[in-house]
Parts: sequence; C-alpha cells; structure tokens
Amino acid sequence: MSLKLCSEALSGCSGCEMSLLNTGGGSLSLFDKFEILHMPILMDHKYLGCNGGDGGIHIPKAGVGLISGGIRNEQHLKIAEEMRRQCDIIIAFGTCAAYGGIPAMMNLFEDKDLFRRYYRTAEATDSSLNPTQVIPPFLERTFALDEMIAVDFFIPGCPPHPDSITAALESIVQGKSLELPLLSVCDSCPAKREGKGSVNKIRRFVRNARYQPDRPVSEMRCLLEQGYLCMGPVTLAGCAGMNGGPPRCIDVRVPCRGCHGPVRKGGNQLMDILNALASNGIDTKNLPDRLSSLRFSGAHGRLNWRFAKA
Amino acid sequence: MEMAYEDVNRHETQFEMKAMSLSGTHPGFEPRILAFTCNWCAYAAADLAGTARAQYPANLRIIRVMCSGMVHPSLVTEAFEYGADGVLLMGCHLGECHYQDGNEKAQMRSLVIEEVLSLMGLEPERFRLVWCSSAEAERFAAIVRETDEALRSIGPSRFRKNT
Repeated sequence: MSLKLCSEALSGCSGCEMSLLNTGGGSLSLFDKFEILHMPILMDHKYLGCNGGDGGIHIPKAGVGLISGGIRNEQHLKIAEEMRRQCDIIIAFGTCAAYGGIPAMMNLFEDKDLFRRYYRTAEATDSSLNPTQVIPPFLERTFALDEMIAVDFFIPGCPPHPDSITAALESIVQGKSLELPLLSVCDSCPAKREGKGSVNKIRRFVRNARYQPDRPVSEMRCLLEQGYLCMGPVTLAGCAGMNGGPPRCIDVRVPCRGCHGPVRKGGNQLMDILNALASNGIDTKNLPDRLSSLRFSGAHGRLNWRFAKA
Repeated sequence: MEMAYEDVNRHETQFEMKAMSLSGTHPGFEPRILAFTCNWCAYAAADLAGTARAQYPANLRIIRVMCSGMVHPSLVTEAFEYGADGVLLMGCHLGECHYQDGNEKAQMRSLVIEEVLSLMGLEPERFRLVWCSSAEAERFAAIVRETDEALRSIGPSRFRKNT
C-alpha cells in the first residue's frame, strides 16, 4: 500500500523541493511508495478557498506531511496548523523549517524597516506604498516550525542532501523513526588537522585558503587552523550525503557556512563557535559580522531586533 | 572537560531551579541566584563562609565544578532559561588556578556569555564572573549580597515564568 504524502512550502525558497527531485534514480523507486496528494509547488491544487469557497484551507488527510520553510505570516501559520491536523507525521524539511534558515536573518530587522527597504529603498524597485491587499499580515518574526506546531522529524540542510531525503523517506516507509547522527561537520571532514598551532586571530575570507588544487581535500590543512572562520565544529554533519565524501563547502575549499544548523537540537551556533574560539585563546571581540554565525539558525528567539542591532 | 557537564550539571541545574521555585513562597520578588563555584577556591570560600557564620541571602544555590574554566556558556544560558535571575561564575584569582590557566579560559568565555545574554535580552548585571580565594569568606558573602541587591533593583528575568 502506498503512503499518502502532502507537502507545503512556507517561508523558504523551494530549494528543498529541488533537492527532493534531485534524488535521481532513488526517487523513482521512492515515489512508487508514495502517493502525492498535495504539493502546490509541483502540481496545481486549489486549496486556499480562493475560488469563492468558504475561505478555509483544505488539505487532504495523509500519512506524511513534508513542510519546508519557516513561518513568517498568518497564512503560513494557518497552513502549518492545517497540515498538522491532516498529517500523521510532520517532517520539518530543510533548515528553514527546522531552525528558521536564511529568512530568519530578517529577525534582526523590524517589519517597518523591512517594508521600507523592500518597497521603497531597494535599488531596482520603483518606490511605492506598503500593499494593503494580497500580502497576509506578518507575525512578529520568522519562526521555526516546531515553535508553532508539533514536529515529528527534522531533516536539516540547505538544501538537505538527496541521500538524506531518500534515507528519511525510506525509514518512514519502513515505519522506523529517523535518527540523525549527532556528529559535527568536522567529524566527517577529511582535511588535515595538525593541532591548534599559532592561530590567535580569525582572518576574513578575502584571500583563498592555501591548498593544491590538483590534490584531494585530505591533503589540505583544516581551514580553521588556517585562520578562517569555518562553522564545521558547531554544525550538524550530513551535507556530504551517504557516500562518505567531504562536506560540500570544504570540497570546494570554502569554509563551512553552518547550513545544517546546530549539532545538538536546541544548540546555539553563535555561542558554540565563539566559545570554541575563546577556549582556544582566540580573541572573539575582533570577529566582524559575528551575528552571521546564526545565519541559518536565527529562529527560536536567537536573533531579535530588540536586543541585537544588525 | 567537555563531556562532564552534559550529564551532571544539566540535571543539577534543573534540580536546583525546581527546588527554588518550590521554596519561593515569599510574597513579592525573591531573586534566584545560581553560582558555579570552583572546587579549589570559591567553593571552599562558601564553605568557610558557612563555618564562619557570615551572613548572606538564602536565595543562592551553589553548583560545585572542578574549575571555573569548565563551565560551558550553555550552562549559564540554560540556567537563565530555567528561570534563574542571576548567575555567578566564581573561580580562583588570576594566577592562582589549580589547573594553571582554567580561570583565564573562564575569563575568555565570559565575554561570550555576556554577548549571548545580551542577545537573549538579559541585563548585563545578571551575570558576574568573580574571583574569590578559599580564605575570602567575607568577600564571598559580600559578592552574594551585592548581587542579590542588584537583582532586586532590576527585577525578575524575562525568562522567569512564575514570580
């Protein structure tokens, strides 16, 4: 019997759905086991009561609900609540749903600043007033899914690796619970570690790291040890998929950005990375743009314009 | 050092916060203060303060740690999330650490703690890093009294559910 699947995209970018389609050959056998009832991003389904209906949201009953994106406005919230009512299992799909993601960086700004920027001061936009129609009323900030509805499983990643998606959906088909290994990106990184050494200051990434382009990552020195701010120590592993390759950013010789969110659920990437640096005698006060270490996990009240000015 | 706090201190923090909320029967605001004291200096000072019958507010709860340098910032933020109004981190005077430089690590980490607390919307007065040698019982009592008074003037923490 096939499992029924509903999917919704809230305050996100649909990159997670791209990654879902990117599961390649795995997806063909996978989609045999799922019957997609509702997925507005892939197929047309009138459900918002926009055609003269009763104004309600109509999502069919399903076994699995896949929600990508955080919750930013009242429409997102109502859809998320309806998904929770109609689906037995809710999966927070991607970093936005799990930790707020990139849209949660907006939590550093008040709504009035956001609207002024978007509708009036953006370079490529003709200045206009704030819209009074179509855009649903905003909530006070961007929320992660689990701040508003109960979430059963999390698949973090920006976007999640196709392997993680396949593995997660497979385990649900088999009725198993989904366990994320509590490993950091460093645990899955082959870069050469030679000890903490003499790094006492973090450099901006304006000059390339030192490495031999024709040699594999395992022969490159750890980027943190080279003095760049790599978020590897405080970020959940998994971006490389299941084939044991190097983490995706490290693979292209760029420091980890932290897109899989904190290692431990409820962790704080800013606190953990600053603490890791401070414990190793690195002066954290000199670190520019430190708030951006929460660029993927700014929900859960981590970023708040009342307390932190961008 | 990183592994020890996971099991021990997290549960202790919850236990102490709960104990305080149950005993908080006084009308009006009674600050809850949690202190992480190092085994070698500050905890000994607290011990001496008791033996010497130094007077300090009873709303202080102490968690003994081996070194102030082992207190991960997340322990402090969690204490606030569980409803502490103030947290004291107490260690040996600089240069007197039993483990040579643990208190210097604590000092580096305290900058991180202060920054994260301000992002959480907590007043800077709620967290203090202080040095206190094992002989300074009166200094220990004075620090607790000062902290208690400071917290009474700024009121309950925004994370505190009941008053």
